Amino acid sequence: MNEYDEKWEEQINALLDGELSSADADLLKAEASDDRELARAIIEAYQLQKAMDAIRVERAPDSLRKRLRAIPRQQRPAPVFRILQPRWVMALAAIPLVVFSVSLMQPEEPSAQEIAKARQDLAIAFAYLDKAGQFTGQEIESTVGNTMSDAIAGSVIRNIKSQNETSKENEA
Amino acid sequence: MSRRYRQWVKEYQDQAWTVARYILKDAQEAEDATQEAFVKLWNNQDNIDPARVRPWLMKVTRNGCLDRLRRRRDNVEFDESHMPADVSGPMQDAAASETSVRLKRAISALKEPYRSLVVLRDVNQHSYEEVAGMLELSLAQVKTYLHRARKQLREQLSEVRP
Repeated sequence: MNEYDEKWEEQINALLDGELSSADADLLKAEASDDRELARAIIEAYQLQKAMDAIRVERAPDSLRKRLRAIPRQQRPAPVFRILQPRWVMALAAIPLVVFSVSLMQPEEPSAQEIAKARQDLAIAFAYLDKAGQFTGQEIESTVGNTMSDAIAGSVIRNIKSQNETSKENEA
Repeated sequence: MSRRYRQWVKEYQDQAWTVARYILKDAQEAEDATQEAFVKLWNNQDNIDPARVRPWLMKVTRNGCLDRLRRRRDNVEFDESHMPADVSGPMQDAAASETSVRLKRAISALKEPYRSLVVLRDVNQHSYEEVAGMLELSLAQVKTYLHRARKQLREQLSEVRP
């Protein structure tokens, strides 16, 4: 297509689209009166437009209309198996955490072996304290005299014995 | 069903179908392509500016059709001689007019993007601006290509006239 054709094609199409000014339209018609080729092109363009008017938008077939109406129903998300829903996944994940937490909150019952070992340790500790009390009494006696020594050492020993008895009562 | 989707179907199904029918020249495939475009519309309805639904839908329909044409070429060359003489769909309603039938055949025979341009502008009556947006062309390109497409159609029609 040469430049000449392009120029007239533009004018013809603008004429058909109603976008050509009346002055330009008059100019085109005047040109066409001397140019048979151009005149023929304009006539054919009008004929084409007329034919186009007869083939407007086609009606979609009923089968397609039905398919388009069905899209919302078909595109609805499929029901997810309840156990896989997020809230259930979270609940399942929380179970071990709850079990672990509860186990931490339970008071631990010492075994019989542990109790026996504790009693043994306690007896040894009291024996050491007893000796420490006697030693302390001797030290005090050598420093401040016999009377004061008896008062202090006796108080310590009585205190230890009292604690020992309380411990045995609790165990019983 | 969403009310607005229902409204879009009502307003645009014929236009989308027309685009698909002219590009694919196969009724069943055109139905499939149109349905695909509306599925995309349904799934993207919240992301589309309601004022731009029509050009969006036409563009998606056309692109889907062109994808199908490419796949068709990759597999088996579609033999257009297999098209029946009175092609159903777009051709049916115009059976009374031989000129219309010839014109439809001529439009279907145009190459892209000429064919889409003619269908969108001259058949579906979209504005030049809308067509430019749909085909991602400049306004000047749309006008130039459309002039060429119309000239080809005129020449084909004039060949059969006495």
